[in-house]
Amino acid sequence: MNSERLTGRLAEIVGADHIFAAELCAPYAVDGKAPKAVVLPANMQELSEVMKFAFSERVSVVPWGSGTKIGLGGIPARVDLVVGLTRLNQIIDHEPGDLTATFQAGTPLREVQTSLRGSSQFLPFDPARSEQVTIGGILATNASGPWRHRYGTARDLVIGIRVVHADGTVTKGGAKVVKSVSGYDMNKLYVGSLGTLGIILEATLRLYPLPAVERTWVGSFLTGEAAACAMAQILHSTIVCTRIEFLSLFATQSVSRQAGCVFPAGTVTVAVSVGSVPEAVDTQIAAIRKLCHLDGAVTGSLLEGSAQESLWRAICDFPSASDDGRSWVMLKASVLPTKVLKTIHRAEALGRDLGLESAAVSEAGCGIIRLCWRDEAGSQEKGPASIAKGVEELRGWILHDGGSLVILSAPPAIKAGVDVWGPVGNALFLMRELKRSLDPQGLLNPGRFVGGI
Amino acid sequence: MEKRRIVKELAAIVGSEWVISDPVELTVYECDGMTFLEKGPPDLVVLPDSTAQVVEVVKFCDREQLPFLPRGAGTGLSGGAIAVQGGVIIGLNRMNRILEIDLANQRAVVEPGLVNLTLTQAVIDRGYYFAPDPASQAASSIGGNVAENAGGPHCLKYGTTTMHILGLELVLPSGEIVQVGGKTLDCPGYDLTGLFVGSEGTLGIATKVTVRLLRQAEAIKTLLASFRTIDAASEVVSEIIATGMIPSALEMMDRHIIKALEEWLQIGYPEGAGAVLLIELDGPAAEIEAQAKGIELICARHGILDLRIAQDEQERTLLWRGRKGAVAAVGRITHEFYLQDGVVPRTTLPQVLREIEAIAERNAFVIANVFHAGDGNLHPLICFDSRREGELQRAIATGAEIMRLCLSVGGSITGEHGIGIEKIDFIPLMYSSDDLEAMRRVRVVFDRSLRCNPGKLLPTARSCGETHVAYRPHRVEREGLAQRY
Repeated sequence: MNSERLTGRLAEIVGADHIFAAELCAPYAVDGKAPKAVVLPANMQELSEVMKFAFSERVSVVPWGSGTKIGLGGIPARVDLVVGLTRLNQIIDHEPGDLTATFQAGTPLREVQTSLRGSSQFLPFDPARSEQVTIGGILATNASGPWRHRYGTARDLVIGIRVVHADGTVTKGGAKVVKSVSGYDMNKLYVGSLGTLGIILEATLRLYPLPAVERTWVGSFLTGEAAACAMAQILHSTIVCTRIEFLSLFATQSVSRQAGCVFPAGTVTVAVSVGSVPEAVDTQIAAIRKLCHLDGAVTGSLLEGSAQESLWRAICDFPSASDDGRSWVMLKASVLPTKVLKTIHRAEALGRDLGLESAAVSEAGCGIIRLCWRDEAGSQEKGPASIAKGVEELRGWILHDGGSLVILSAPPAIKAGVDVWGPVGNALFLMRELKRSLDPQGLLNPGRFVGGI
Repeated sequence: MEKRRIVKELAAIVGSEWVISDPVELTVYECDGMTFLEKGPPDLVVLPDSTAQVVEVVKFCDREQLPFLPRGAGTGLSGGAIAVQGGVIIGLNRMNRILEIDLANQRAVVEPGLVNLTLTQAVIDRGYYFAPDPASQAASSIGGNVAENAGGPHCLKYGTTTMHILGLELVLPSGEIVQVGGKTLDCPGYDLTGLFVGSEGTLGIATKVTVRLLRQAEAIKTLLASFRTIDAASEVVSEIIATGMIPSALEMMDRHIIKALEEWLQIGYPEGAGAVLLIELDGPAAEIEAQAKGIELICARHGILDLRIAQDEQERTLLWRGRKGAVAAVGRITHEFYLQDGVVPRTTLPQVLREIEAIAERNAFVIANVFHAGDGNLHPLICFDSRREGELQRAIATGAEIMRLCLSVGGSITGEHGIGIEKIDFIPLMYSSDDLEAMRRVRVVFDRSLRCNPGKLLPTARSCGETHVAYRPHRVEREGLAQRY
């Protein structure tokens, strides 16, 4: 379908002001593929109409929140139309006594947190770039950050969902109550499905009370082994950590610069936060400090208030774009908690062999590691093929240990040489069937999900 | 004879002693914990001992076009394990081994027939436990908990079963084995583990379950607070949550339950108590001490009649005794009861409970309430006597009124018992035909011929509009000897 006819019909649905024609679409390119148009529906009816039209004309659709996670996924097979959700940005309801709230997909997380703070509550999502991300984007990618240690991820917090399907049909799953077992748990299917089964229109989420006090203990260690030992002891104690994070050598230096903290040179970091009533925070921080010192922490410091927030912001956003401008290949490894350090060491060694700098930040209790590789400063740029091969090799090793390795973002040239998602096991045929069953024409984000879905 | 041939072939797979075909023995399997609406004896029961045997049995059923369904301990309360269309029940009780305990990573891999409490007992000495704790946990199996996404008093803080299941080995209705999820988190692909949990045995049979184990809390504190009115107790519930506390359990019982318990166990609830609230806190000692003080102040502001705080494990057991015996106790004040399982937003509790009282009066029934107040999961017990003409039908109609009430405030028709056959005619009250169509599309991906636990969860043309058949309660239930959830 030509671009003019496409935008003409879409303008009838959403108004001419809410369409970007081809010449303005470059910023919405996915892995270098720009759409023919961008459309910004304002409500459920408009979104449904847009999808009905796309379905009837077999136009492929990329749902778009703030675009911060657009690097995730395989190179799209087709990008005809970007459906931007920024105008679907209402907090539909919030009942503090129920600890639940319903948001439209395009609502920025930042606005959600500001609004909830008035009731001393929050939504425990802290993915990278939380200043920009939208609720729908977090849900579609099941993005997470350090808070997942205590509160879980989107799949654990979504209790109700409303979705617009490829053919424009609007359906819901779950309810606005924290406990419901009525029918299949459709929430789980849509969360993390990268918009390939439907576009999330709104979601009801479980909230949490803001802790009375939160403090963070930061311990510096000379070796990863000592740090891992301290973390294991904390994780197996009765201490209830809100977040517990491990930073590799490079990440320690970068985060300390970003957050304005001073960490000793040549050390790795363990950061642990505890949120509770003041007396419980004090006793638990004391216990953490003691465990870290027994395991050989060379220094430690206690952070609260804005210093604490800066530290956690820097950790979530690592690697910072402002670091020195060179871009990283971002990988996410999921391994058993006992394999975290081994995996980081392996990635660093492999990086060295390939002439790459490595950095790692890990939600160690969950076994989630963000691994970053980039060319060493001043070195000749490595070919995408060698990095792709490195990803394959690291993945093989992680798979052998029962984990998984996914590319969070990388230039298309690297993605072209390696499967972004890796093998997903023998249930792939079910996933393909689900896709066929819910999006029979394969119009939603084609080619970006596992197995080329 | 056809049946004899089928028995013989199944016996060749699992061994002849593990095929039940005697009509008398089969009556054991004609219903699960939901004994009163409908029964359906299977044609056969087979008890496999391994995934390989499950595969062979399922493949056999597929070839012979026999309906089949998995069954755990049979403690479900919505009829999910009743063979409404006959066929083969695949009982998983023999597959009850703990395959792996990996405390360093806080995981375990178990077979589906393992009794829930057995897992906790295996790790508690080392300081860990399996969090989902349905009231039936001493009998119900982990596979059954997975099928129903079982809840329990402590899921207010720790979430229902789905939060604690990381991976599954599944035998699909075609006989294929697939692995979904795993020991690590965020496995790439659609979250089929999350989809399967709560699917009530309609998508296949889980033959291995990878679960999360939790570290036991440093301290536990249990409080029992009595109030003159249910409104006062409900306000306390809301204020506890609004103050920023999430107790591990917040359970409420109304005056009918209190009366039944007093008659039976003489617990000594104060005179004039219209509601009792059982509150449990767990976590770091300093935290729960502070929270307990806060709760005492909140209770005092709402005219508390009596507050008891357990000083040791023995007293804690005592305080829980009333709550755990509550449903059984109702058997002493009524011939029969119909236990509902609706959920409402917590803040609507006072209003909804008043409405339920009005429904009770309008329909001339006693409706007793014992429920998970913290998550708004109500369990109204409609007391009736089916020996009286038309009373069973009126009780069912009253149940439907309560479901509509829950939906009218934005709730759900079931919080932890599932749809099964009990609510299959009511699920369209909660979901539109488009919503249900999306679920059907999911179902056929797993079970194209719809022979895996047919007639459950989703209404089909056949079951839509069907009326339930007569209630025949077990004697033990009538006499208040058994507890049904």
